[in-house]
Amino acid sequence: MNNLSPLISARSLTRQYRRGAEVVKALDGVDLDIRAGEMLAVTGPSGSGKTTLINLLSCLDAPTSGELSVAGRRVDGLPESELVAARRGVLGFVFQKFHLLPTLTVAENVELPLLFLRRPADRAETLRVLETVGLAERADHRPGEISGGQMQRTAIARALLAKPSILIADEPTGNLDKANGEAVIALFRKLVTETGITVILSTHNERHAAACDRILALEDGRIKTAGALHS
Amino acid sequence: MNFGNLALKNLWRRPVRTGLTVLGVALAVAVAVSLGGFNLGYKRAISNSIERLGFQVMIMAKGCPYEAATMMLKGGTGLLYLPEDTKAKIETDASVSSITPIFVGVAEKEASSIRDDAAKSFAIVNGIERESFVTMKPWVRFQGGAGYDGGRWFSDTAETEIVLGFEVAEYEQRKVGDDFYMTVTPNGAVAPVQHKFKVVGVLERTGSQDDGGVFVPLKTAQKLFGRANELTIVGVKLKEFSGVKLREFEGRWLKLPEVQVVSLEQVKGTLVSLVGTAQAMIAAVALIAVVVAAIGVMNSIVMSVYERTGEIGVMKAVGASRADIFRLVWLETLLLCVVAGAAGCLLAVVGSGAVEGVIRRLIDLGVSDSLVLITPALLGAAMLGAVVLGLVTGIWPAWRAASLHPVEAIREGE
Ligand SMILES: Nc1ncnc2c1ncn2[C@@H]1O[C@H](COP(=O)(O)OP(=O)(O)O)[C@@H](O)[C@H]1O
Ligand SMILES: [Mg+2]
Repeated sequence: MNNLSPLISARSLTRQYRRGAEVVKALDGVDLDIRAGEMLAVTGPSGSGKTTLINLLSCLDAPTSGELSVAGRRVDGLPESELVAARRGVLGFVFQKFHLLPTLTVAENVELPLLFLRRPADRAETLRVLETVGLAERADHRPGEISGGQMQRTAIARALLAKPSILIADEPTGNLDKANGEAVIALFRKLVTETGITVILSTHNERHAAACDRILALEDGRIKTAGALHS
Repeated sequence: MNFGNLALKNLWRRPVRTGLTVLGVALAVAVAVSLGGFNLGYKRAISNSIERLGFQVMIMAKGCPYEAATMMLKGGTGLLYLPEDTKAKIETDASVSSITPIFVGVAEKEASSIRDDAAKSFAIVNGIERESFVTMKPWVRFQGGAGYDGGRWFSDTAETEIVLGFEVAEYEQRKVGDDFYMTVTPNGAVAPVQHKFKVVGVLERTGSQDDGGVFVPLKTAQKLFGRANELTIVGVKLKEFSGVKLREFEGRWLKLPEVQVVSLEQVKGTLVSLVGTAQAMIAAVALIAVVVAAIGVMNSIVMSVYERTGEIGVMKAVGASRADIFRLVWLETLLLCVVAGAAGCLLAVVGSGAVEGVIRRLIDLGVSDSLVLITPALLGAAMLGAVVLGLVTGIWPAWRAASLHPVEAIREGE
């Protein structure tokens, strides 16, 4: 893969849900290319298909039809077991609700993915990543003892530890106050600049979207506008 | 961080629920271990009382009565005799642990008692081979105390020495050193002959038929009754005493003509039916306890999986495979059951000891052996059972957790 070919490429990407007899087209023929090192915002009203798109790009869900390549690999039509392999070490996730394990410390939460990747934990490395998100001194606290902003930064550190090339975040600021939300967006920007990681995030917040390189606005499962904010 | 560690932390999350579930399983294990221990203790008690009988099997002439009462009623005339070499033949059987020949005769006694109703009475005379008889009944002791001290067995060749059973001595008011008269009509003769013996020992009460008999050397008894080289009973103790072994032994020796094999029916009955019933009941109670505990474990783990739906989704998102999640939840169930198994074993050991201590303080059990016999093998079996319980009950919750779709799980968890 060279710099010119996109890191993620989607063609006519469609995802339908069945709701009883009714078929809901949550995503309806989306074409999309995302370059390495880009910071992309997916926006749109509630129910427009942001989460559906994010889940497909994350290889957490499979499209009903259409083509999708992630990091040079065709992932449409893959069974769940192979999707697990496709996202291992390539994709890092951040969720609106942070989903930290309450009995583990901040550092242990960050190291959790290594258990499933069968990689040994290196506490020095963990602390370095916690340093990046500004939480080094909270390493031994439990999630119950830190603020919401700190929990989200812990979740970001968890996503970063396995050194993924793509960081995907579904409404990462949705549960945060203004200041903490802006801090998270600033952190993403810093990561993109410093490490060249690709960030895809969905948001309701126009200011946060405006801080990204590009906005993909969805409406009823289709792309409304796709424009580069910065060239 | 490893799977075991993570599983433990997950269990620790709901200490009360985990604690209650552990308690449930621990109680079931404790019940199973206590009942198993009671079963073992009970079996030991039975085998001890079989031990006490001395021999479990008697070889006698066909049609010969062997109960004291029958012998008395028939005045000794019903007794039939075996050739003395029967003992040597049976001794060759590989399943025989020990064997002793006994000659039984019934003698008349003069009214030597101060009781006036005892005008005439009988004595059951046991001619025994001292050494093999003592091997068979090692618990037989001589009475001590004033008038009884110095009690001993007769010498093998003594013709006038006699040992009295507890009841005979009491009834006849005989002590060591006293004279003891018996009248015997020898085989083939018409006229009774009176014999005088010296009491050399009085046995302690055994609670068996021996209390009502008197003992003389085998040869002496044979001579007394005019039946040299004849025996009444060959007492046999088997190496392994079970219904099956007994029937096998009977099968082998019933072939001898003129011989009947009499096993102590009550012993056989006790072994076969009582142990069988007790075991079935115990197994049923233990099974119910275990099933109830298993349902509790499954419920508890399924609930914890349900609560952690979102988390499990995230774990899958960050790279956990189906197998990883299955393993994690399975391990949680296993850990819970192993901890509970260990607690249950401890509870059974401590609990049964305490209960028995209280019972012993309240009533005299008359036995020194503990009622409940908890062996390392029993505890090992209980732990193995707990492991199997964990493995089996964990399958369903673990499968459910593993089958959660990450997207659905994360959404539901929000
Ligand atoms: N599992 C599902 N079953 C049925 N309908 C769904 C499911 N997930 C999402 N949808 C529907 O698909 C549409 C897009 O949802 P979603 O991607 O969650 O939107 P957003 O994240 O932008 O709010 C909505 O109409 C939603 O109701
Ligand atoms: Mg959404």
